Amino acid sequence: MKVKALGSPFGSLTRTRVLVALTLLGTSYQRELSRLLGTSPSVVQKALSSLEGDGLISGRLVGRTRTYSMNPRYFARTELGAFVRRLAEADTQLQAGTAELRRRPRRAGKPA
Amino acid sequence: MKLLKASTLQEVAATVGAHLASHGIRAVLTGGACVAIHTGTYISKDADFILQSVVTQRALDEALQELGFVRRGAEYVHPDLPFWVEFPPGPLSIGDDLAIVPVELTIGHVTTLGLSATDSCRDRLAAFYHWNDRQALTLAVEIARVQPVDLEVIRRWSTRKGKTAEFDDFVRRVGASTLRARRAPPTRRPSARGRQRRGSRRG
Repeated sequence: MKVKALGSPFGSLTRTRVLVALTLLGTSYQRELSRLLGTSPSVVQKALSSLEGDGLISGRLVGRTRTYSMNPRYFARTELGAFVRRLAEADTQLQAGTAELRRRPRRAGKPA
Repeated sequence: MKLLKASTLQEVAATVGAHLASHGIRAVLTGGACVAIHTGTYISKDADFILQSVVTQRALDEALQELGFVRRGAEYVHPDLPFWVEFPPGPLSIGDDLAIVPVELTIGHVTTLGLSATDSCRDRLAAFYHWNDRQALTLAVEIARVQPVDLEVIRRWSTRKGKTAEFDDFVRRVGASTLRARRAPPTRRPSARGRQRRGSRRG
């Protein structure tokens, strides 16, 4: 049996970690989350769709990419945010992963 | 009310709400269809209902099938209508405000539960506040121009959210003349379309 490093209070480990990642990042998209969580894009997409269906997160199209963030209109968003931030404290691996992502702007034309 | 190819979204929404109520299913109309009822102009493609009854998927499917709707995933579609019906996750709320009192909205002779004009206005403003959705702001303004809304309720709620500047923008767009007219005693009956019966404490 696989040993879980983190519990899954939101139904599955991927759902839980997607919520944690979105709380840490603010906004993200399927491919970035897939890389960050080390989970296949289809599994991440399934988690995103179900979380969106439950109203916990909201998605919108930016160009051709669907981006996701915690749903600011969710009735218990304050309490949910506090709980997920607490879970984030326990997920040091995810914290380290998000810390490596560059989020600040990068001028066009600069070498990568 | 029988659903026809020419039925408007308002008629479809009212018919669905009333039909569900006749099956003992309490559903409250929210979102764009609610805006359409309040303004009489906005065109949306779907009718969003928040369920306030515990109901099985099968019972919901069967009730809507009687009106000709068939479930496709999370949506109920109708072969003769360009509109569909959805049931977003509850509870009925506007942000973290759960104290929402639905009102009866009447289209023709059919009545459904829905958001009051004030709450429908707040619902659109929430999208403007959270996502800077200018279309939602335009719709909130449209509601406030056409229907009496409780601006004090909206102002207090906006202030709690730290959106005073955005609320001021909304009020400016509604227009001082409209708001002055709102404060005057009504001189004529409201139109049948979108009229609220037994309204909530929030206009």
